[in-house]
Amino acid sequence: MINIQDMRDTARGLLTKKEVRAVIGYRRSTNGMLAEPVVITDPAQADELIWDPTCFHNLSLYLVEDRKFLTHVRKTADAPIAIVAKGCDARSIVVLMQEHYFERKDVYIIGMSCEGSGVLDERKLAAKGIRATDAAFDGDDFVFATAQGEQRIAAREVMADRCLECREPFPKEHNAVLGENKTGRELNAPFTALHRFEELDAGARWKFWEHQFERCIRCFACRSVCPMCYCEECVVDSISFPVTGQTSAEEKANRVRWIERSATRPENMTYHMTRVLHLAGRCIDCNECERVCPVNIPLRLLNNKMEREAREEFGYEPGASIGGPSLTASFLDTDPGKFIR
Amino acid sequence: MPDNIYLPELARIAHIKEEISGERAIKTYRVEPVNGGGFEHNCGQCAMLSIFGRGEMMISIASSPLITEYKQFSVMRVGRVSAAFHELDVGDVIGIRGPYGNSFPVDDWRGKNLVFIGGGVGLAPIWPVITTAVAQRADFKNISVFYGARSPRDLMYKAELERLRGDADIQLSVDKAEEGWKEFCGFVPANVLDKKPSPNNTIAITCGPPIMIKFVIQNLQQLGFADEQIYTTIENKMKCGLGKCGRCNVGKDYVCTKGPVYSWAQLKQLPEEY
Amino acid sequence: MEKILGKTKIDDWVAALSDHPQEVGRGCKAAEAATTTHWQVSAPVLEDGIWSYQSGSGSVQLEHSNTTQPPKGFSFPQREVFFSFEQIKGEPPKLTQKLPQATRHAVFGVRPCDGCGAVRMDKVFSDHVADTYYTARRSNVAYVGLACNQPQGINCFCLSVGGSPVSSDGMDVLMTDLGDRYFVAAVTDTGKALMAAGNSVFSEPTAADRKQLQQTHAEAIAQPQRAINNLDAAPAKLKASFDSPLWEELARACIGCGVCTFLCPTCHCFDINDENTSATPIKGNRVRTWDNCQFPDFTMHTSGHNPRESLGSRLRQRVSHKFQYFHENFGMPQCTGCGRCITECSVGIDIVNVVNKVAEHAG
Repeated sequence: MINIQDMRDTARGLLTKKEVRAVIGYRRSTNGMLAEPVVITDPAQADELIWDPTCFHNLSLYLVEDRKFLTHVRKTADAPIAIVAKGCDARSIVVLMQEHYFERKDVYIIGMSCEGSGVLDERKLAAKGIRATDAAFDGDDFVFATAQGEQRIAAREVMADRCLECREPFPKEHNAVLGENKTGRELNAPFTALHRFEELDAGARWKFWEHQFERCIRCFACRSVCPMCYCEECVVDSISFPVTGQTSAEEKANRVRWIERSATRPENMTYHMTRVLHLAGRCIDCNECERVCPVNIPLRLLNNKMEREAREEFGYEPGASIGGPSLTASFLDTDPGKFIR
Repeated sequence: MPDNIYLPELARIAHIKEEISGERAIKTYRVEPVNGGGFEHNCGQCAMLSIFGRGEMMISIASSPLITEYKQFSVMRVGRVSAAFHELDVGDVIGIRGPYGNSFPVDDWRGKNLVFIGGGVGLAPIWPVITTAVAQRADFKNISVFYGARSPRDLMYKAELERLRGDADIQLSVDKAEEGWKEFCGFVPANVLDKKPSPNNTIAITCGPPIMIKFVIQNLQQLGFADEQIYTTIENKMKCGLGKCGRCNVGKDYVCTKGPVYSWAQLKQLPEEY
Repeated sequence: MEKILGKTKIDDWVAALSDHPQEVGRGCKAAEAATTTHWQVSAPVLEDGIWSYQSGSGSVQLEHSNTTQPPKGFSFPQREVFFSFEQIKGEPPKLTQKLPQATRHAVFGVRPCDGCGAVRMDKVFSDHVADTYYTARRSNVAYVGLACNQPQGINCFCLSVGGSPVSSDGMDVLMTDLGDRYFVAAVTDTGKALMAAGNSVFSEPTAADRKQLQQTHAEAIAQPQRAINNLDAAPAKLKASFDSPLWEELARACIGCGVCTFLCPTCHCFDINDENTSATPIKGNRVRTWDNCQFPDFTMHTSGHNPRESLGSRLRQRVSHKFQYFHENFGMPQCTGCGRCITECSVGIDIVNVVNKVAEHAG
C-alpha cells in the first residue's frame, strides 16, 4: 500500500532542495470525487497532492506542454521537472524520450506502482448505480464514500479495461518509486476486449465503426489529451497549423486540407484512421483518448489493434526502453514481409 | 439585408491595378455588381469577398460612397483567399456580401481640419474618407494626408495621391532612404511629429500596422490632440461579418458590427484583444 | 392550457403528434408545407452509454438524466450547408442555396437549463440581423420540457444563474413528473397546438394535482445545488480581472479541446469554409460548422498574430463571454447552469470554481 504522505514528502523534498522546478501531480478537483492535474512549484503545496483510483490522467502530456512553452518563450530549464507517473505514464515518457522530445535529465519521475489494481472506470461505477463522493485504494479493493456510507468494491469490477489487461503496472523507468512491484499480476489476458470484438465478422465490424464515426463530434479531446499527439502541425485539421509572420501566402494557400471541418462520417473516419496509424508503436495504452471522449467512442479497440499487430509481427513493446528502437524507424533482417527487401 | 444573409451577390472584376509587387503584393480591384444588384456603403465599412472554392475574406471598401458604379478594394497577398484573389483577371466573377460594420462619422467632421495618417496598406480603409472629403472640399478646412511605407516601391495609390495635391497637403515618407527620394525619411509617426499638425478644430484619422498606430497616437497626444479627436480602425479574424460566429470580439463588442471604426477615447476603454 | 397525462399514455400522445397533420407554426415560410407535415418526435435515448436525442422509436420514456449533448443541434446543427457552388474558369459561378427542409421537430424531455439555452441562442441568432438558417430551423422546433424534480447531476447550478429546475423559459410545453402521471402545461401557442393534437389522451387536472405540482416544484427548487456565488457582481468582477494572472493559473491543466463548448447549450461560435468536392471544374459547398474559442487558431489572424494566444486568454474568453459580455449585450448571463462543461472536462476545469475564484480575487 502506498502511503500518500510519502509521495507528498518526496515532492516537498524535491522542491525544497530545488532539485526540480515543479512537480506535476494530482489534486482533488471541484468536480465531485475526481482528481485533476496540478503543477506545483511551492513546497507548501505538496500537501494538496493526492493518490487515489481517480488519478487516471496521463500527466506526461504536461511534459510536452512544458517543452512547448519553453520553446515558445525561448528559454532553457534550469532544473528538471518532476512528474507523478503510473506504469503506463512512465512508458509514455519513455516513448517521448525515444523520440528525443526531451532528455532523461530533463525529467524526474516519481513512479507510482498500481500494485494489485489500477484506476477506476467511471462508467463502470455509474453502471452500478453508485454515486460516490470519494474513492480510495485498499489492497485489491476500491473503497467509495457514498451518501449511504462506505462502500467497498473489488477493484477488478470497476477498474478500467486497460488496467485489467496491463502487463506492467510498475513504472520501470523512475527516479523514485512508491509501492510494490506486482508486475505479472494481469487480471485479464492482454487484448481481451479486442479479441471479444474480433469475434464479429468483418461486415459487422465495419458497421460498428461506421456507427461510431458517425457519432464523433470532432471536439479533438482525444488528440488534445494524447501525449503522443504533440505535432505542431497536425495532418488532420487546420486548428494547429502554425502560422507566423514569416509564413508565406503560398504556404497558406497551398496547404492541403486533408480533412474538412465538417464532422461527417468519412471525414471523421479519416481523422481517426490517420491518428491511430500515427500512434502505432507509440501508444502505450493509457487510454486517455477513450476516457475523455464525450460520446464514448471505443478508441481503445483501434489503438489495441495496432499494438497487437506490432507485438505479434515484430515482437514490439512500446515504451520498453529509452535506447530501444522505435517501431516505424527501425528495421530488422528478421522482420516479416518481403516488400521492403 | 438580403433574404439569405450568407449568400453572396455576384460581382465582376472590372479593373485591376498592380500597386505593389513582391512577396506581399498589393492589387486594387474595381468590382461591379453583375445582375444590377449591389449595395450602398459608408466610409469605413467592409465587405466579405468570396472566391468560390477558396472561401471568404473581409476587406475594407476603399472607394468613396459617392462612387456608385463600382466598389474598390485593395488586397494584400497574405493568405489563402487573398493569394487566390491575386490570380484573378478582369472579367472574373466573385462573390460579395455587405456592407458590414460601422463607419467614420464624416458628417460630424464638416467644418473641421482633417489629418489622415496612413501606413502601408492601411491607406485603403481611410481612402474613402479622404476622397469624399476632397470631393466635398468646401465642407472641410485643411486636409492633410501623411502616408508612408517601407520604401518608395511600397507606396500605394501614388498617382491618386499626386492628383490630390492642391486640394490636400500630401506628406509622404519612407522608412529607409533611397536615391532620388525628396520627401521625409523616417517612420510615419516621426513625420507627423516633424510637421506638427495643429489639434485646433482637427480630427486625426489613422490606419496602418498596429505598432505604427500606437506611436501615431502617442505623438498626436504629444501634439495636444484629445482622445476624442483621434480615430482609427481595428481588425480581427472574421467569418460571418454579422456578429454571430463569435471570433472577432474585443470584450463585448464584435468588431464586425460595432467596429471597425473607433475613436481612441472609445478604444482605450476596450481590452487589448486585437 | 394545463392537463394531466398518465405515464402510460405518453406514447399515445407521441403517436397522435406523428400522425396528426399540423397547422401550427411560427409564421415562417414553411407554414404552407406545415399543413401536410407531421411532427417528428425526438426524445432522450440511452445508447453507447450516453443519453442523446433520437427520433423514430415511437416510444418515449422520460427517465433520463440530462443528455450529453444539449438539443441546440435541432436549430443549429454542427454542419449546415449554406449553398453549393460550381465555378468554371471564365464563366460566372453558379450558386445553389440549400435552405433547411421544413421537418417539424417536437423534442421531448428537454431540461429547463436547455430551455433557457434556447432563449439565449434565439437572442444571438436574431440580434442585429436574423440568421437565415437558424431561423428556418428554429421555427420548426418545439420543446416539450421536463422539470427536474432532482438535480440531474452533481454539477447543476441553474438556480444561481437566474434559472430554475422548473423553469418554462424557452419551452413550448413544460411537463412535471408527479409519480404515475405528468402535469402538462402549455407555454406557447405551439405548445397549445401540440397538446390539442393529443386531445383525448389528456385529462383535466384536479385540485389535488395542482397542489401536488406546487409542492413538487417547491421541493425541486429547495434541492441543494452548486452555485455561482454572486451572479450580479460577476460582470464587474470579471471586467476588473481581465489582466489577472489567475487566468493562466486556472487554465494550466486545460488541453484546449472542444468538449466544453461543443456540449454547451449556449455556445454558438462557428466557422465557415468552402469544402470542395471537385477540382476541375471547382465544385463544392460553403459550409458552416461549429467552432470553438478554445482552439488555438480560432482568432488567429492571417499574419499569424493571435489576440488570444494563450490557454488563459481563451479560458477568460469563454468565461467572460458567459458571465460578462453576454450580460452587457443582453442583460442576462449566457450560462444556464447545466454543468456539462464541468462534468465532461477531462482535466477538472470548472466554470463555477473559475467564476467564484476570479470574483474573490477581484476583491
